[in-house]
Amino acid sequence: MVPTELLRFEEVGIHLGGREILSPTQFSVTRGEFVCIIGPSGCGKTTLLRAAAGFVQPSTGQVRCNGQVVTGPTRKAAFVFQDYGRALLPWRTVSGNISLALEAAGVPTEQRAARIAKVLDTVGLGVHATKFPAQLSGGMQQRVQIARCLAQEPELMLMDEPFGALDAMTRESLQDEVSRLVQETGLTVLFVTHDLEEAIYLSDRVIALRANPSAGKPSLAAMIEVGIARPRDQLLTKEDPEFLRLRRELYGFLGHH
Amino acid sequence: MGSWGIIEMGAPLVPRSTQIFLFLRPWVLPVLLLTLLEWAARTLAPDSDAVAPPSRAFLAFGQALMVSSEEGVLRASLFTLGSAAAGLLIGLVLGVGLGTVLGLSKRAASMGFLTIEVLRPIPSVALIPLSMMVFGFGFRMEISVVAFATFWPMLILTQAAARQVEPGLIEVALALELSPWARMTKVVLPAMLARLLVALRLGVAIALVVAVTVEVAANPYGMGYALMIAQQSLAPDLMLAWLVWIGVVGYGINVLMLRLQHALSRRMGEIPQAQRA
Amino acid sequence: MSKQRVKQQLEALGVLALFIGLWWLASDQAWVSKVFLPTPEATLGSLIEGLHGDLLAFSANTVLRMLLGWLLASLIGITIGALVGSSETARAWIGPTLEFVRPLPASAVMPLAISLFGLSSGMVLSVVAFGSMWPVLLATVHGLASVHERLREVSSALQLSRSAFVFKIGLPNAMPDILAGMRLSMTVALIVAVVGEMIASQSGLGQAILLAARSFRASELFAGIALLSVIGFASNALLALVEKKLLKWQTH
Repeated sequence: MVPTELLRFEEVGIHLGGREILSPTQFSVTRGEFVCIIGPSGCGKTTLLRAAAGFVQPSTGQVRCNGQVVTGPTRKAAFVFQDYGRALLPWRTVSGNISLALEAAGVPTEQRAARIAKVLDTVGLGVHATKFPAQLSGGMQQRVQIARCLAQEPELMLMDEPFGALDAMTRESLQDEVSRLVQETGLTVLFVTHDLEEAIYLSDRVIALRANPSAGKPSLAAMIEVGIARPRDQLLTKEDPEFLRLRRELYGFLGHH
Repeated sequence: MGSWGIIEMGAPLVPRSTQIFLFLRPWVLPVLLLTLLEWAARTLAPDSDAVAPPSRAFLAFGQALMVSSEEGVLRASLFTLGSAAAGLLIGLVLGVGLGTVLGLSKRAASMGFLTIEVLRPIPSVALIPLSMMVFGFGFRMEISVVAFATFWPMLILTQAAARQVEPGLIEVALALELSPWARMTKVVLPAMLARLLVALRLGVAIALVVAVTVEVAANPYGMGYALMIAQQSLAPDLMLAWLVWIGVVGYGINVLMLRLQHALSRRMGEIPQAQRA
Repeated sequence: MSKQRVKQQLEALGVLALFIGLWWLASDQAWVSKVFLPTPEATLGSLIEGLHGDLLAFSANTVLRMLLGWLLASLIGITIGALVGSSETARAWIGPTLEFVRPLPASAVMPLAISLFGLSSGMVLSVVAFGSMWPVLLATVHGLASVHERLREVSSALQLSRSAFVFKIGLPNAMPDILAGMRLSMTVALIVAVVGEMIASQSGLGQAILLAARSFRASELFAGIALLSVIGFASNALLALVEKKLLKWQTH
């Protein structure tokens, strides 16, 4: 029986550069869940995500993925970076970039073409397979990165403000695309964003973090279930009373005062 | 842009032991190599004409410091540095001058393009025999080769620097009705300065290398010549000393130029990456 | 081709013709003595005569020395550069020493090589190889060191092995630097080959122009200089072409 809990933060505290970035935090993520992490700048949300990926080792506590303590990055947890331009290999074509993930996993050469084509189809970039990243728009480059992550066939997708550098329209279409993808594949997602509406729109649960944690005010400020039905719509969902209620409730946690 | 920005602000205090370690680390390999050479030269090749223990080289250098002839350290170094500097000055003035004109005027650039592309590939070493034929040996011969060698990079880099001046700045200067001279001195040249400093640093490096090369190949003056004489007199200790000295001088001057570049850039408002908002 | 482009090219040709004309005048009218400045036609004459004679063989020698030394230098330089550049520890310990060698003139090593190998063709080749190794070595180290942190993280996220990282990410990333370094190496190789021929009296263009200068045979000297320029230009242009082909992905 596949366990339902995929990721668990066990009293994970992180100190960096002499400062406490994250006070001991505890939470878990179940399989297939879409969890968004929000908070003002400096609250450690990116650090938390990197700890989940294994790029950062907790100062206290540990992160468990599938019951195992996370000691370093693995292919099972795919990471989508915000600066997509820097995360793609500029000298390889789109297929070449996807292929990197397959090469890393030791997938035999004969199988690669088919898998690349499939994953490119999923993100709608089939026609651009032979283009170089520099020839693509920002949104397309980000889709290439997502496609590469999908090619890893991960259990967990970690996304660090992936749409922060894109314009509003591209952002919205990518949000819907990611939602659809996740519904189709049953992927578990941990998504960091500073955009409150994006967080509520995409997730099953929103975790709000606090900046400058202190004794009475730990990093983890709130954890709220998002009970809005799927599939969601950019226009209708955002007018849903439940959406508006959640938005009001979480607004204060972003540092607005 | 995520919370990584804050990590840079609170730079942790570096403990004293780490500071000392970081200071000494670059020296470990050189010291190791010198020790190895010392042992190898003494035990494996004690009578060699080619290798000498660094300790003997050091002594030979000390002796050469006292000497006031052509092969003395002071005279030879001054000759090389002097001719490099003089040649660079000529190459600099001509290169920056012409480069600015070509950079600012597209027409001039396209007109001069062919001629430059024909003359630029002439290797400066190929001019050593010509210079020797015309000037004989000495200062002028070396200066002219250095001038030729430094002229082209200064020209190309200055042209690029002038071309890359923000057109908006020139428009502001025109709108303020600045005279052409004021436009050049108050707006264009300062805007080019950062790149010119980089070009200057390159020019200095080239000038030194070419000067030494001229001396090794032909000119019986300077550090290169002293090096050759040491080899010809079968004095491997002196040869090693000169080789290291040439390296030290070259390295030292490059470091100085780097400091100069940074200091001047900062005075011209260039903010180092670490301090940017 | 647009009218403007044609006009521009004609103007450029005009300036070049003007320059050659000035050259001819200066020599023909003895503004500069013919001993030092031969006329263009004298130079051309010597060039053609020489090419029918020894000049071709001399050129071949020089080119061979340059190419062989450069190839050796590139192979060794990239290998050592990759080894040093891919390891942060290696860079920290070895890097500063490499930076010290960077400003050292390649010709300064020649006396040592003469002591070791005598005045021979092999000596010249060894100095060419040694001297032209540094630009490409340092470029490789720099190219590998400058791999952006993000790509390193992608590599570790994909659990790429160290060698896979070097070959799939490090070296391709360093490619622009390496190619530029190889072009610089080629320039150094030509210079050192010529100086070597001059000092060690080895058959080649370097020796040829030195002998021409010593006997005040200006037109032969100029012919030799012209040939050396062509060699330098052609080798650079060829490499630049290869560079452009290999770096197609850069500017789109």
